[in-house]
Amino acid sequence: MYQGRHVGFLEGLRYQGKTHMLAWVLHRITGLGILVLVGTHVIAAFFLNAIGDNLSTTITTVYESTPFQILVYFCVLYHALNGLRLIVEDFWPPLLRYHHQLLWFQWLVFVPVFGLPAFLMLMGYLSGAA
Amino acid sequence: MRSRYPSRGSSLEYYLWIFTRLSGVLMLLMAAFGMVYNNLVGGRLLMDVAAQFRWGFFPIYWHVQNTNVPDVYPNWSNSFWQVYALILLAVAAMHGFNGLRVVVEDYIHRPYLLLFAKGLVIVLFFFTLFAGSVIVFELFV
Repeated sequence: MYQGRHVGFLEGLRYQGKTHMLAWVLHRITGLGILVLVGTHVIAAFFLNAIGDNLSTTITTVYESTPFQILVYFCVLYHALNGLRLIVEDFWPPLLRYHHQLLWFQWLVFVPVFGLPAFLMLMGYLSGAA
Repeated sequence: MRSRYPSRGSSLEYYLWIFTRLSGVLMLLMAAFGMVYNNLVGGRLLMDVAAQFRWGFFPIYWHVQNTNVPDVYPNWSNSFWQVYALILLAVAAMHGFNGLRVVVEDYIHRPYLLLFAKGLVIVLFFFTLFAGSVIVFELFV
């Protein structure tokens, strides 16, 4: 519970939670990222179809560009895999003994599942196909 | 006398905790089902990687219309996928805006500011649901 704290950002990162806490920070950042990016996209799509103003056209164009798609994919995939690990640990606490192994396994899944599609999307983008 | 232990919180809080986990798994399963389905009906040869993911996240036909899918009838464009997409959007919005509420409660401590922020979260949630229903069922005036 909040008791009044005055901790800087870098000091916060040195907190003893280490990998556990960094995973939590990234989970929160990617969650907010999904909410901001996808929420803006849905509302912009609504205004684009309802009134067709310049702002929502610009937002949609920026959102549909490949770098933004890769960013959204990063957020969604990290949030999904970390969330799955959290669910497994929440509903089956004995597995918390293997917390570090689960974290490493999570990154082991994340790297190819993020890397391969992101590479393909980036190649298409750089060759001008999309 | 005040208890030494923090209060156990409302049962609503507990149900939202459960909901966050169940809806997370549900969204993954729904996305997986959509992607397996579109590959079985020919999407494997018609869509690039980005289109596959766009369909997985939000399975509505205009999400894949400007790719290599020549004719979105009948597999991609029907009311089953409209209802499916709206359910997925509603579950995702509940999951996401409940998460935003948790973040807001973590960082805002002034009572009236917190009340205002939570009100804003609720307004944004209902507006997103409204906007989602309009674009899925194409109810533009």
